[in-house]
Amino acid sequence: MFAIKELFGSKFKFSLIALAIGLVVSLTMVTSAMSEGLLTGMSGAKSRLDADALVFQRDTYPTIERSILSADDLDAVAGTSGIAGAYGVGHTYASVGSVDEPFDVRVFGLGGSMDQLPIIEGRAASGHDEAVLDATAELDGVEIGDTITLTPMDASLKVVGFTEGRRYVMVPTVWVDLETWEALHLAALLGAGDDGEQAGEVAAARMAEQFSGSASVAAIDLEPGTTIEEVQRGLGDAYRVAGIQDAADAGNGMPEMILAVNGIQGVSVVIGALLVGVFFYITTLHKTSQIAAIKAIGASNAYLYRDLLLQITVLVAIATVLGTVLALGAGAGMPPMMAFDPDPRRWAVAVLAIFGTAYVGSLFSLRSILKIDPATALGRTSA
Amino acid sequence: MLAINDITKTYGSGRTQVTALDQVSFRLGEGKLLAMIGPSGSGKTTLVSIIAGLLTPTSGEVIIDGHPLHLRSSADAARYRRETVGIVFQEHHLVPYLTARDNLLLVPHLSGRITREDRTRADDLLESFGLADRVSHRPALLSGGERQRVAIARALMNTPTIMLVDEPTASLDTERGFQVVEMLKDQVHERGMTCVMVTHDMRMAEHADERLMLRDGRVVAG
Ligand SMILES: Nc1ncnc2c1ncn2[C@@H]1O[C@H](COP(=O)(O)OP(=O)(O)OP(=O)(O)O)[C@@H](O)[C@H]1O
Ligand SMILES: [Mg+2]
Repeated sequence: MFAIKELFGSKFKFSLIALAIGLVVSLTMVTSAMSEGLLTGMSGAKSRLDADALVFQRDTYPTIERSILSADDLDAVAGTSGIAGAYGVGHTYASVGSVDEPFDVRVFGLGGSMDQLPIIEGRAASGHDEAVLDATAELDGVEIGDTITLTPMDASLKVVGFTEGRRYVMVPTVWVDLETWEALHLAALLGAGDDGEQAGEVAAARMAEQFSGSASVAAIDLEPGTTIEEVQRGLGDAYRVAGIQDAADAGNGMPEMILAVNGIQGVSVVIGALLVGVFFYITTLHKTSQIAAIKAIGASNAYLYRDLLLQITVLVAIATVLGTVLALGAGAGMPPMMAFDPDPRRWAVAVLAIFGTAYVGSLFSLRSILKIDPATALGRTSA
Repeated sequence: MLAINDITKTYGSGRTQVTALDQVSFRLGEGKLLAMIGPSGSGKTTLVSIIAGLLTPTSGEVIIDGHPLHLRSSADAARYRRETVGIVFQEHHLVPYLTARDNLLLVPHLSGRITREDRTRADDLLESFGLADRVSHRPALLSGGERQRVAIARALMNTPTIMLVDEPTASLDTERGFQVVEMLKDQVHERGMTCVMVTHDMRMAEHADERLMLRDGRVVAG
């Protein structure tokens, strides 16, 4: 009660420090939200696939772009013990050429249910030549009902719906069924539409046969109690299996990005803790004679430290509220292309980390509280 | 009854050793105000600190109502000061961000919870020191004499059996100094406390019930 009165007794001082800590809190929150957005922007298409793990062609992990599994491969994967279910996922590069400014996309074919894509506008794709696009394609001028033309395959797709959080390497994705994907993939490989330079029909037919029923990787569900390692042993050397999150966090510079973002967050938490620690340490040093007098009239070290912890708790709580408001404000002010994806769980972790480290920082002050000799309150103060 | 038995206190060791108190003894009954006088460095503060449990004597004993004072830890000493001792410092040492009333309520707060009786008691004490219209003032808004009166009221909050006062009038002019000492004496008589008051000023000492003169750590006159 008296500790709180002290806080409100020197409002200016405590407002300043609450603001400083609040800024640090909001910095951790903004970086966490942006990293969340950055990470889904980089690999949402992979990490949110409805699967426990992905199976890659040997020596291509983690590059889905290079992996290719034939129909036989997919059968072999599906038949491996420990795998409860498997479906092919296809990937291919393309550009959307039917808008004013053509833009790059990644085309994904789903051998499994298309229902795994959350539809935020329009409807799910059903059948051939229909596509669901990541909603960020809207920013490039695509609308529901448009027929888009993909280059280089010169194929047309009808846009029937938008999904969200499914970007890949920061570009929008186009989701089709696996058959459609196969046709697009083949067309891209053959360079269809290029006059005069068409591949020989025989070669084309052979390739079509070769790629019939193929996919880039297999998305698998594990049987309960089965580990990735066991499945890897079952699959043998020809394939490489990785947990869905591991696969999403690998490649495309993801590990470096995650490291950098975690580094920034760690440093901001440490700065916040130092601010709290140093602030209360200096405040304690300033109050030495006052604390000596309170000790002289009978305050125990435990009482004084409890007061300090109470003040830290109130201060950090106020700073957290302030920081959250600032972070949400910053998020609201960001352009839609800036991926800002607040995750309450990560925010809670950041806040807990600041609280925790602030308490650790309070040990500096505890040390000086313990060192203050109440005997100094008598007599010698004016000397 | 407060008895000081053969107390010696030395600071430091070897060449820098100082004997601040040298076999000091005296007794002081209940309801008595003792003025302790002596030149600077004669050991007054040291003796008061020992009675307050802020310092331990090198040898000798403090005996309160027949019981020797034994403080085993700093927590033990803190409890002794909370429960038995009231201290008034030379500098008032009021908590700057608390009102006069809250400065008094800090005392029960240190021992646990503040009860309704505590609040009544704080207001009564402030009133008896003529501070009824100053209860919600912070120390910065009080005059020097008012602060010292709040400090005395605070020292009385825990109904101490021993009251220790170190140069309470040093920062006051003579007139106000006398007023404060008179108030202190009234309280000591009324409540039957044992009070030791340090002063430089012989005229202040005249107002006390008893006088003790220290020089170079020894009692020279009682
Ligand atoms: N912590 C200490 N360490 C070493 N010497 C000390 C310490 N405290 C006091 N002394 C010495 O002990 C002697 C008595 O000091 P004390 O403060 O008790 O005197 P005093 O009578 O209160 O003086 P004053 O009137 O100036 O307040 C002095 O010589 C002083 O220098
Ligand atoms: Mg002194």
